[in-house]
Amino acid sequence: MKIKLFAATAVLALGLAACGGETPAPEPVAEAPAAEAPAPEPAPVATASIGETPADPVAFMKTRSDNYKDLGKNFKVLLDNSKLGTPDMAAVSAAAAKVNEYAGLMGTWFPAGTGPEAGKTEAKANVWTERADFDAKLANLQTEAGKLVTAAGTDAAAFKAQFGPTGGTCKACHDTFREEDKDK
Amino acid sequence: MTDDTVISATPAQPEPKQKVWDAPVRLVHWLLVFLVAFSWWTAEEGEMQWHYWSGLTIVGLLVFRVYWGFAGPETARFSRFVKGPGDVLSYTGNLFRPNYRASFGHNPLGALSVIAILLALIAQVVLGLFASDTDGLESGPLSPYVSYEFSQDAAALHEDAFNILLIIIGLHIAAIVFYLVAKRVNLIGPMITGSRKAVDVEGPASGIAPVPLWRFLLGVTIAGLTVFLIVWLPTTR
Repeated sequence: MKIKLFAATAVLALGLAACGGETPAPEPVAEAPAAEAPAPEPAPVATASIGETPADPVAFMKTRSDNYKDLGKNFKVLLDNSKLGTPDMAAVSAAAAKVNEYAGLMGTWFPAGTGPEAGKTEAKANVWTERADFDAKLANLQTEAGKLVTAAGTDAAAFKAQFGPTGGTCKACHDTFREEDKDK
Repeated sequence: MTDDTVISATPAQPEPKQKVWDAPVRLVHWLLVFLVAFSWWTAEEGEMQWHYWSGLTIVGLLVFRVYWGFAGPETARFSRFVKGPGDVLSYTGNLFRPNYRASFGHNPLGALSVIAILLALIAQVVLGLFASDTDGLESGPLSPYVSYEFSQDAAALHEDAFNILLIIIGLHIAAIVFYLVAKRVNLIGPMITGSRKAVDVEGPASGIAPVPLWRFLLGVTIAGLTVFLIVWLPTTR
């Protein structure tokens, strides 16, 4: 009984930690040598430098994919609430903060050697060949995600008005740099 | 029918017509043709707002058609055209016999395809109502009631199930071509005009009996209300 309770608490704590303020930077899992972990760029914004290939590109890409899924999950919270007469502003603020956090880190998610040539990914090769455009689109996301956090802290109307522009920056980048999932 | 009398020099009497499909059935049919194509196209082009309303309109059409299957004229009614395996077999066996007569409304075999199309469309719209894209940017109206993962699965199935729909539609069109070529029976004309030549056909010469207007209006109201509730209820959670 106690063990069960302990386990449940541990799981809960882990869950909370996972949803909390931990940096979701893609860290290659477990056995990957720490020395070769993705060298985080000093500033995530608009640097033309593409970064070094991580030691375990496949694990790195898996983490990237998981991060995007979590981002999608948070965005659904925003989408669901944007349709409500009275959105749950606490949930909105938490999700907006999460989106903003991911947006800030995203510049480190696409180092060299983590494209379609390295394994399963929806990232198209032009992420690396048209980096200036990619970085510009990312900068747009960061701007609009920042505004979203502010709007979520203001009121429901401000949040609803800012939801579309923020989502638009996601879409703008996906239209150019993400593979259409043909068939899964 | 005595064929001799038909041949005459004077402008012939108008051929006797039999009304087989009422206006609501025809309208639902052609709107579904258009909207299924439109839904496919808008999904391909990422025009999700149009896709959303196209799908919701299909929901309304399906609700109406199911209602009309109980309240409409005889050729629209499930109880009249849905037949057991025995009837289906004997109809199929009779197809090339001299005593073959074109059915009044859906034939027992075609009824199966009607049911299959309706079920596939219902499955398709239900999945769409709960679906959302990977980004959490676009979603069906009922998606707020389900988790991200569930809505992802619904979206994947929504995409896959479309192929099933295509197969059934393909069979439907193949059957129409078969009747046109092999049996010289034009099924398309009556679905447009509502009537057909009353030669070698089953059913009463007068065709389907009219249905009171209020029954039609009630169906439209039920369909409209369903769509309204689907859009409106999630905003009140």
